[in-house]
Amino acid sequence: MGHEASIFRVERKLGLAFTLPIFILIFILMGFPFAYTIYLSFTNKTVGMPAQFVGLANYISIFTDSTYWRVFMNTVIYTVICIVVKLVFGMLFALLLNESFHGRSITRVAMLLPWAIPGMVAANTWKWMYNDQYGIINEILRDLHIISTPIPWLGSMGLALFSVMIVNIWRGIPFFLFSILGALQSIDDQLYDAGKIDGANVFQRFFNITLPSIMPVVAISTLLSTIWTFNDFDNIWLITGGGPLNASSVIATYTYEQAFMYNDMGTGMAVAVSIIPVLVILMVLVTKHRSSENG
Amino acid sequence: MKSLKHIHTAKRIFIYVAAVLGILWSCFPIYWMIKSSLTPNDEMYELHPSLVPSRLTLDHYKQLFTQSEFMTFFLNSVYVAVITTLIAIVLAILASYAMTRLRFKGRNFIRKAIFYAYLLPTAVLFIPMYQLVSKLGLINNKNALIIVYQTIVIPYACYMLISYFAAIPKSLEEAAFVDGCTHLKALVKVILPIAAPGIAVVATFSFTMSWNEYLYAMVLMTSPSQQTVPVGISSFRYSDNMIWGLIMSSSFIASLPAVILYMFAQRFMVTGLAAGGVKQ
Repeated sequence: MGHEASIFRVERKLGLAFTLPIFILIFILMGFPFAYTIYLSFTNKTVGMPAQFVGLANYISIFTDSTYWRVFMNTVIYTVICIVVKLVFGMLFALLLNESFHGRSITRVAMLLPWAIPGMVAANTWKWMYNDQYGIINEILRDLHIISTPIPWLGSMGLALFSVMIVNIWRGIPFFLFSILGALQSIDDQLYDAGKIDGANVFQRFFNITLPSIMPVVAISTLLSTIWTFNDFDNIWLITGGGPLNASSVIATYTYEQAFMYNDMGTGMAVAVSIIPVLVILMVLVTKHRSSENG
Repeated sequence: MKSLKHIHTAKRIFIYVAAVLGILWSCFPIYWMIKSSLTPNDEMYELHPSLVPSRLTLDHYKQLFTQSEFMTFFLNSVYVAVITTLIAIVLAILASYAMTRLRFKGRNFIRKAIFYAYLLPTAVLFIPMYQLVSKLGLINNKNALIIVYQTIVIPYACYMLISYFAAIPKSLEEAAFVDGCTHLKALVKVILPIAAPGIAVVATFSFTMSWNEYLYAMVLMTSPSQQTVPVGISSFRYSDNMIWGLIMSSSFIASLPAVILYMFAQRFMVTGLAAGGVKQ
């Protein structure tokens, strides 16, 4: 009995020692700033000046500002469309790479590349391709006689958001592809053989065998990617800066703009805090999915 | 039988068409980056760019290394990413071992906290992080990035390592304990060798996460001597005019470390270890 107790004591001490740095990291380096964020959103803080408590003033001013709602809607549109397209194409290409054909490994490597390069590189390269004077996209469309005059991909109010979405999709497909491919490869072949014997056709096999088997991975990948896409900053900031006139502005770039361009920390933080309810819902969904998977 | 063969051929054709489209879609922008980095300026700023350059030049690369601060950015990035990864991996291994093998109070609490920290986006945290770092007087000190990046990398690394470690049967260590091993020794002698491929993959992604990070680096490092590659590259411009030759050549070099590491890691990734994944 004494031996058991001493083992337990050792485990407790070691356990606390091994997790102490993580505890400090999460609660001091993340938790404290996070709480401070919420506090700042109730003040009129600007750089170099002390913060004064202003109650709900920042929230009232952003919620009554039509620009905020435009930016919020942009964020929702950006997230929903990007996620749907990334998921559909990620799944299609995962099904493709799960077949055996000549050149499969080269295709796999090629399709991994957009995910492997830094986001900043993807953003700059696409910005250059979108260039309305020297860009290759307009040139190809002109050569194919699809357009006669160059299209201002990033400068037009109607197109800017669409153009940055393409880049997010380009970079994001491999995440879905490789998550789903991993799930596909762990499906037992015997299930398909049994399906074939029972006379199930390709579509029946897909909906009755493949889809249910990869569903947990699809769900968790979709939720994680939704959180990241909803909070995307680099892509939009580097390509359009949110412009023209906030046409491609999303919550993350709008937060930055308020806090660092207009030097209004309080409003910036109110914008950041205003999306926390959305974030909490997504986080709860992820946690639920994980526990149902583990249990 | 003949119609079955027909279907088979149609399927083959469909597969190859899809594969070619997938490769073109994924690789064309990368081709265009490399092509532009090798195209002389007069040809680059022609109103009708051609798909294949008529002449190649290394001028942009020469200018990058001799007339710009790219080397400083590059060395800063290497320094920050390597040290961030080393610290994060050691701390994450210890914590993940504790959370899968040791019984102690608060274990589940920390596990949950790690998961929520993993999900918390930088877009919510960057303003208070800026306040904190400036209170500490560490703005424009690249070491601040090493500390700040731990908040991104450690939760990810723990999240992944906990599932690797949990999959290793406990009976293996029990044999070591019978031989009189301590916990630390069991971790080093039993767990680490088995988990090595997984740890390598996690280290790879940790490195690329720090290598690619842009938002914190932009907000916290404003002086070129402390900037990392993603922020530094964006400064290659005259007011609103981007210097595309420099941007494309530096982008190509900035892509190399992460791409090489991904190629190395991808054979582990397709075995189903990608689940969880990396922040995009």
